[in-house]
Amino acid sequence: MAVDRRKVAVFGAAFVLRLLLICFFPSLPDLLTGRVEVSTPVNSFKRLQEGLYLYTRNVSPYDGGVFHQAPLLLPLFSLLPDVKSNPVPTAVFYFLVDLLNAQALATISESGQSVQSRLHSAIRKHIRWDGVSVAAWFLFNPFTIATCLARPTSVFTTSGILFAVSNAVDGNSLNAMLALGFASYLSLYPALLFVPLALLCYDQRVQKCPQAPSTVVFILQHGAILFGSIAGLLGLSVLITGNFWEFMSATYGFHLLVPDLTPNVGLWWYFFIEMFDSFRGFFLGVFWLHLASYVGGFTARLRRQPLFIITAILGVFAIFKPYPSISDASLYFALLPLYRHLSPLMRYTFFAISALLYSSLLGPAFYHLWIYAGSGNANFFYAITLVWSLGLSILLADSIFAALRDEWEQDHPEAKGQEVKQV
Amino acid sequence: MTVPALFSLLLALAVTLWSLPASASSDYQEQLFLQPLPQSSLLASFNFRGNTSQQSFDNQHFRYFPRALGQILQHAHTKELHLRFTTGRWDAESWGPRPWNGSKEGGTGVELWAWIDATDDEEAFAKWITLTQSLSGLFCASMNFVDSTRTTRPVASFEPTGDHPHAEGLHLLHGTLPGEVVCTENLTPFLKLLPCKGKTGISSLFDGHKLFDAAWQSMSVDMRPICPSDGECLVQIEQTVDMVLDIERSKRSRTNPIPRPVPNEQLLCDASKPYNSEDTCYPLEKASGKAWSLQEVFGRSLNGVCPLAESDGSSEQSVCLRVPHERQVFHSEGAVEHKKPDGFTRCFSLSSSQPFDLSIPEQPGQVQVPLEAPVLHAERTIVGHGQERGGMRIIFGNPSKTTSVDFILFESLPWFLRPYIHTLQATITGPDGVPREVPSSELVTGTFYRPAIDRERGTQLELALSVPAASSVTLTYDFEKAILRYTEYPPDANRGFNVAPAVIRILNAPGSAPVYIRSTSLLLPLPTPDFSMPYNVIILTSTVIALAFGTVFNILVRRIVSVDQAAALGAQSLKGRILGKLVAIRDRLRKKETKVE
Repeated sequence: MAVDRRKVAVFGAAFVLRLLLICFFPSLPDLLTGRVEVSTPVNSFKRLQEGLYLYTRNVSPYDGGVFHQAPLLLPLFSLLPDVKSNPVPTAVFYFLVDLLNAQALATISESGQSVQSRLHSAIRKHIRWDGVSVAAWFLFNPFTIATCLARPTSVFTTSGILFAVSNAVDGNSLNAMLALGFASYLSLYPALLFVPLALLCYDQRVQKCPQAPSTVVFILQHGAILFGSIAGLLGLSVLITGNFWEFMSATYGFHLLVPDLTPNVGLWWYFFIEMFDSFRGFFLGVFWLHLASYVGGFTARLRRQPLFIITAILGVFAIFKPYPSISDASLYFALLPLYRHLSPLMRYTFFAISALLYSSLLGPAFYHLWIYAGSGNANFFYAITLVWSLGLSILLADSIFAALRDEWEQDHPEAKGQEVKQV
Repeated sequence: MTVPALFSLLLALAVTLWSLPASASSDYQEQLFLQPLPQSSLLASFNFRGNTSQQSFDNQHFRYFPRALGQILQHAHTKELHLRFTTGRWDAESWGPRPWNGSKEGGTGVELWAWIDATDDEEAFAKWITLTQSLSGLFCASMNFVDSTRTTRPVASFEPTGDHPHAEGLHLLHGTLPGEVVCTENLTPFLKLLPCKGKTGISSLFDGHKLFDAAWQSMSVDMRPICPSDGECLVQIEQTVDMVLDIERSKRSRTNPIPRPVPNEQLLCDASKPYNSEDTCYPLEKASGKAWSLQEVFGRSLNGVCPLAESDGSSEQSVCLRVPHERQVFHSEGAVEHKKPDGFTRCFSLSSSQPFDLSIPEQPGQVQVPLEAPVLHAERTIVGHGQERGGMRIIFGNPSKTTSVDFILFESLPWFLRPYIHTLQATITGPDGVPREVPSSELVTGTFYRPAIDRERGTQLELALSVPAASSVTLTYDFEKAILRYTEYPPDANRGFNVAPAVIRILNAPGSAPVYIRSTSLLLPLPTPDFSMPYNVIILTSTVIALAFGTVFNILVRRIVSVDQAAALGAQSLKGRILGKLVAIRDRLRKKETKVE
């Protein structure tokens, strides 16, 4: 097998860059771990350390308000050396996970699914980046680097999702479902990706052997696989913790009910701080329903591009999930370059990018004004999270428009490049 | 010396050594102990103790035991109760060890712990809630706010002081209210529990204005069963009030309480200070001690003897004063002074009919009453800045040159302070003064940790520690400050939240009475949202969500057409047809105009 020199260079450079950052700024990982933009109550590395400390001393980490992450992470991290005295192995472990994620991305990109699938063929196929460029875009994204150094456990959820997609585009539907099961086990919300992912697997299967079963049967089969994999992981977790309901309510119950309102880049925390007590339950339901509603809409309308559905839903997660962080945004930004061919069709790119830059620069400043300087109040940071969400949703809506326009142009090749209108 | 005289002498001696006689000669006794402390302070320590037999307690025959309290305790199945109301800070550096070895004081605010008879934890908690609610009504304190988040079940920090024949069914529960302001409305019900109700006896000295103006004061109520090996079980209630009064401040007249500066010529300056000059002065404390009398310090004189405390017609030596024997003390007529052989203590037998007063003049050049050094210094502070996270730092100093100190540190933290126990670090500073970091396991011999659950229970941390001789140990750990829902903040949200003091139980002397130290309470500032704009936040967030949802679904449900097609499609719609008609009418009008021309 010929070694791709460009790929080795990109991966090596990404690794060395991260290594240099922790060598020259040894306090940087702990600083980033403490940032609310990166660490949320459900993925914080410091909380993981606390859970690990209790776990290794035979105290149930779920019998407390600090640790809300999946139980299988505990034995995994207890294998790594103590991070206080020896931080490098843990950091290198996270670097490698990042490189694996980039490899999965390169696989997805090289499969060409984003431009050419069973039901869809983009008209601007030639405008496209190869796998190494997409991987480089992911590896050198400052959000990804910050996430990697801060060591949140959401990195593993990202891996699960990327591996699920990369296996799906390769036609390994079983592995895809197992990987999605792992991601859903870690943080619940990736389960919403099931239908588009199953559709992606189904399209691959039909392309390979035309006598594939009907869509419904295929989806039910794969639903069973997903369910089985999650059940297996939960079974392992029970073996580790010994108390099923305790860890279920401390992890998934925590995701669903959002009791911890620590600030983050999302929209939920301030809303539920200020919500009247009697309406809290109602709005929790509305917010979750709203998050799930996109899945149905996208799946129905963009059926021809399952990979794009997954990308768009990941964008929705980055905006509307209860505890979003910049690691979710970095996953969305990692998949967007697959749709380089849509960029000529996008209308508000400048505005969206400006809003994102504006909020990512002003966010930390306003947080400092509120928490440390005391010269601003909570509204400063809240306003920035609104701008951030607005920027992301403009980008999301614009990319969906471009994808639909692309589909339309495939149906009407004569109208390529014409002015269009939606009626 | 007759036998009763010898007995009373022994009794008084025992009281001066701060120890508790196991059984009392009569069923009700009261004692007042006074000791001038450095920095012109006066420690006044009142003790009232009543016994009743277990049988009459069970049959609700109350004589010395207050009925109001007794019925509450029976209703809540409480076998042993300790209730503390404390304000101020005991200055151990200048005042020495605490009265009663700290066993009769509480943390700032209200502290309550009880042994409750119940079959399981839930039942014990239900009875505990009954108890706190009832005591809240009885003492006019907010003890009804002792809910599950402020209740802990200490494992090693407290032991029952009474004798319990059936100890296996007992549950210890402990609650604190560090923010409670102790004041006169708590003193009035406290006095009503006493047999003489503050009318006669030493309790007649209590005046809310003076008591709560003290630099430090602590009121306690203890109820415990006592079972002597040979006799019938007793139920004992003991109430104490300890206070440290600033003599100068207490002597101020009530009609004109504004403090005035000392005139220059009366100032006594420390000439050894380098900055001492005509216009700068470091005031020296008078070596002679302040002059004072009961009347001046308490604002009233002692009103005879409580008749219930009398035994065989003559009163006990109920007032004791600890000053050197050389010092002159004047007392009112009818009282008899007894000097004790230790050279510092004198007690007074009071006449039951006459008021009693005591006055000490200023007297230069005399020996001071020696103060013992405390066994352990402890100090607890919050470090760090910002409203996001912080750290707790606890410093223990062992002044002894030869022995190490073993103790248990008990912390109960509110749930919105989230400690990271894996960051627990110990630094030890030896006699050489060089701090060195050690693994916390080297000093901590045992840990009990129950983490907090949001809105359900607080953190409970008990550490068994040992500090080597002539060293000081600093413990630190990080914590995070939670942000609350806006309805969970008190009206003065930016003042911060009170964190209960740590309780330190020193273990060194086996078999003897336990020694307790309590740190000061802490103030924890939390991040606050903007309380003025719940509607605005709901509206703005909903707008952003609606914008995203609207845009995305607008794009999803509409068809894409080219601009030409759009025009054609537009012509078929209702709006298009109306527009078409309008255009036609306009064109016709224009045509008519051209014809006229």
